[in-house]
Amino acid sequence: MAVTSPRPLVEVRDVHTRFGRSIVHAGVSLEVREGEIFALAGASGCGKSTLLREIIGLQQPQRGSIRVFGREVVGIDDEAALSLRRDWGVLFERGALFGSLTVAENVGLPLREHTDLDDALVDEIAAVKIALTGLPSGAASKYPSELSGGMRKRAALARAIALDPRLLFLDEPTAGLDPLSATGFEALVRHLKEALGLSILMVTHDLDLLWHVADRVAFMVEGRIVGIGTMEELSVSEQPLVREYFHGPRGRAAREQAWKPR
Amino acid sequence: MSRPRAEGPRAGFALEGDVLRCRGDWTVREIAPVEREFERSEASRSRVSAIDASGISALDTAGVVLLRRIAAKLGHDGRASEVSGLRPEHRALVSFVESAEREDGESAEAPRSALERVGEAAWRAAIGSGRLLGFVGEVAVVALRTLASPSRIRWRPILFNVRTAGFDALPITGLLCFLMGIVIAYQGATQLERYGANIFVADLVGLAMLRELSPLLTAIIVAGRSGSAYAAQIGTMKVTEEIDALRTVGIAPIELLVLPKILALSIALPLLTVYADVLGVAGGMLMAHSELDVGYADFLDRLQRALRLSDFLVGIGKAPIFAAIIAVIGCHQGFEVAGDAESVGHRTTVSVVRAIFFVIVTDALFSVAFNALGI
Repeated sequence: MAVTSPRPLVEVRDVHTRFGRSIVHAGVSLEVREGEIFALAGASGCGKSTLLREIIGLQQPQRGSIRVFGREVVGIDDEAALSLRRDWGVLFERGALFGSLTVAENVGLPLREHTDLDDALVDEIAAVKIALTGLPSGAASKYPSELSGGMRKRAALARAIALDPRLLFLDEPTAGLDPLSATGFEALVRHLKEALGLSILMVTHDLDLLWHVADRVAFMVEGRIVGIGTMEELSVSEQPLVREYFHGPRGRAAREQAWKPR
Repeated sequence: MSRPRAEGPRAGFALEGDVLRCRGDWTVREIAPVEREFERSEASRSRVSAIDASGISALDTAGVVLLRRIAAKLGHDGRASEVSGLRPEHRALVSFVESAEREDGESAEAPRSALERVGEAAWRAAIGSGRLLGFVGEVAVVALRTLASPSRIRWRPILFNVRTAGFDALPITGLLCFLMGIVIAYQGATQLERYGANIFVADLVGLAMLRELSPLLTAIIVAGRSGSAYAAQIGTMKVTEEIDALRTVGIAPIELLVLPKILALSIALPLLTVYADVLGVAGGMLMAHSELDVGYADFLDRLQRALRLSDFLVGIGKAPIFAAIIAVIGCHQGFEVAGDAESVGHRTTVSVVRAIFFVIVTDALFSVAFNALGI
């Protein structure tokens, strides 16, 4: 399975973040290894999305170090950030597709912006990416507002992998999807990860997603990581907060489901 | 790093006999020169029997697309030429890409002809006008129902809208009409002075401002300030499904959102017009004094004789009509918003353009009608 390399792809060390007087992160540390699907889990408002925004450089922590591909992103200048950003793809919670562009144009945008490939080849690559995410090719000429929620997520994923990134960030990838679409999306993420050799860092509170897809999970409560490990390890953790999360009725159901032969 | 980039071997190809040998990193960042080189090189035109991909050190989906494109171009009799020597992991990627494309049976929509697009645009315009008419009718029905039971009139939003659309617009409306009065007096001054008819500047400014310019200018400012705001507010509420939420709790959106705006604007716009009249005439009076040596008392005296009550009423009478046009068009465009933020921006623009257009057209119709009636 995952080939662990000596250097982690993402390395978060002792990050502290405050908004005004409220403390969002009180010393968060974690690392994402090459080739794994790492999930950041926790209740709403525990600071996991903020941490993701800090890792992809949309926000700055007050203190601490975040290294991606071995390069520090805290206090990074714009030019260096740009070269880093070409190496990762981001799927935002609500897709964030550009409403004025068709799906094919959305997917082609990073290619046009960052490479000098000619238009025909860009269109061809975009069509392949759209097909890889399981969208019918008829969807390519549609505008995001004409797509269903699940299709929009897939189109956004196609844009995230447009530049063949090594690292993919997923923010609540299954939020707002019906169970069937969510299951389909889970399978897609795993499939793409294997086929394209991606490493993935995702933020989620979807227990099914954690059980089925994540290799390792960090569990966050009020700005602190209270447990890191595989789901099997976390599910037997003695930490009271972790127990509460995984042994609630929904947690149990998701776990039982995960143990059934699939 | 698992996939070396700039430091990796450069992507390229070489023609050896009838075999095209590919080498280097065929990744999205590296293949742009390869693609151009291939189009220029003789390889694209000569007979190539096989493609040897054993020199490819790294491959991603973009590389796969280019490789397949080259293979398709070099092949003959409708068959792509053979690609051999791929590493196992690269072969897996190629078949992954191919499998994804095979699964997809649906064909893309064919581009439409110019005639079809013209027809579609015309049809959309016709439907749009029909919908505006429908909206006007709906508003009228709701308005009659509300007037039948006056207790249902929502005074708070009306007063709020009078403040935002009327009172808050006082500075800008006043300033612009004051300047307009100055401009008219100034332009008239040179002409009138030639005939020694200095005093008639009062007629010029008074009639022009009261009958035409004050109502028109005020309506245009309000269309830009408030009509756009109505479209944006209702449009955003539509995007966030607040309009649907209103319907589900049993409140008619038109009663809550549209009617108060129309009533408020019908109150505010005539008042604004009176205010604009005063400042426009004041501007003209100031200019008459400094340019034509017409004293303030003389000016006002002449003004009183030049103007009839009907001149004032004609101007003020147009204002509620303009108000209804602006409010109805702004609200209608808000309800026409579909989908996303992009649509809100588009509809807001349309609301302003259309409101100003209809205001000016209506003003022209009024002029013709008043002329025919001799008012």
